[in-house]
Amino acid sequence: MPVFAALTEEEYRRLCDYLYRRTGMVFTETKRYYVERRVVERMTATGSGSFPSYFARLRGNMEGEIERFVNAFTVNETYFYREDHQLQCLSRDLLDDRLRASGRGRSIRIWSVPCSTGEEPYSIAMWLLENWPLVDSCDIEIVGSDIDTAVLELARAGLYGRRALMRLSPYLVEKYFTPQGPETWKILDDLRESVRFTRVNIVEPGETAPHGRFDVIFCRNVLIYFDDASRRVAAENLYANLLPGGYICLGHTESMSRISPLFDVRRFADAIVYQRPPGDAHG
Amino acid sequence: MPLIRKPPPGNTDSTAPANPAGPCLDALVGGDDNARWNAARAAPDTPEGARALGEALGRERNPRVREAILTSLVRMSTPEGVQAVLPLLRSDDALLRTGALDALRTMGGAVRPYLPPLLHDADADVRLIACELLRQLPGEQATPLLCAILDTETEPNVCASAVEVLAEVGGPEALPVLARCEERFRGIAFLEFSIRTTIDQIRSQVSR
Repeated sequence: MPVFAALTEEEYRRLCDYLYRRTGMVFTETKRYYVERRVVERMTATGSGSFPSYFARLRGNMEGEIERFVNAFTVNETYFYREDHQLQCLSRDLLDDRLRASGRGRSIRIWSVPCSTGEEPYSIAMWLLENWPLVDSCDIEIVGSDIDTAVLELARAGLYGRRALMRLSPYLVEKYFTPQGPETWKILDDLRESVRFTRVNIVEPGETAPHGRFDVIFCRNVLIYFDDASRRVAAENLYANLLPGGYICLGHTESMSRISPLFDVRRFADAIVYQRPPGDAHG
Repeated sequence: MPLIRKPPPGNTDSTAPANPAGPCLDALVGGDDNARWNAARAAPDTPEGARALGEALGRERNPRVREAILTSLVRMSTPEGVQAVLPLLRSDDALLRTGALDALRTMGGAVRPYLPPLLHDADADVRLIACELLRQLPGEQATPLLCAILDTETEPNVCASAVEVLAEVGGPEALPVLARCEERFRGIAFLEFSIRTTIDQIRSQVSR
């Protein structure tokens, strides 16, 4: 493996400026070693002989380099109870607020998009059952959607390995899963039936609109991969899919404020989320 | 039986489609905020959409509907769409100018043919924005255009915008041009500082 010298101070600044502008990810001097390691990995993988040549490759998104680079910085796997501070926020603040404000009685709609192999929508269901006192007295619809029909089939099957369950207590695993061999667990049928899975491309309004409008949307770690145009269109589609006053939760490195002026920022004890203004009935 | 109680079947307000089907383009003119919003979002799928959006953009006052119009024009990214957005770069309203810049920089190759005239526009504010639009180009295309600006531009703010973009895209060929620009604007502290920083950034690549 070739050995590259570390980035110069100017190169590091140039890269960080670009990353912030392109993805919203912020890296300061304290993260320099972390960033440099990943740059070197990508330079090696792409055969780039110098930082300038790699940076040109990144800027030009040659062979999808932006996605690969971002992947090197993010935990590119999904598991149950990932970023559970947002689930905490859901049960402590968002749902009660929605019930108070919506005027639709005890009815809640939640959308997990993209849902990949189902860990997120099933996590939402489990979390509510465990942590939200009103769960049995409300009508709750949880929809999981993804563009990839293959992962949706896996989500419907509900089979998971040890890594996917790593954040769950033995109590939760025993309560909601049945072992299917030494390294595989199947989610309970009764929990599987609590989530509906659909295919959707979130940059196509014709595909998002039929899903209706939701109280809360989880759209984590996907907008960061989009180019500016797709991100803008996706944000507007998600806005249209929110009920007035509804909330959207993004990944921890993402910021809607940089993408669209349509949403209000709301700071709760456990998470920062974005809200469609309550008085805005557009769409 | 699901562990979580689902809503009873039926088409409630929230499960109805987020966009009513088939809003017509006429709503862009005479509809209420709601109708104009829906019409703007549906316009890219209609043959006369670009023209209708362009006309609506000039008169629309509701910021959310305007945002929907701009997003639809971005989705289309056609020459007609670019031409509809360009006049907003001259607006007295800073929000409109920023909205237009954001839209144009996401319209990709459709904007490219309009950049040379924008860089020579009589209005310095438009030239400044045009420099920012060059950021979307590959470095080898953007650098000569930015260098030409630095050699001829009389407004320090426009030069500063070009220098800022060069800090990201520029290569060693920009170094002598930056030095000449620094000389021309000697005494304008913010521009001197910006040029020195950019020169240092580019030199650090050359010396490796």
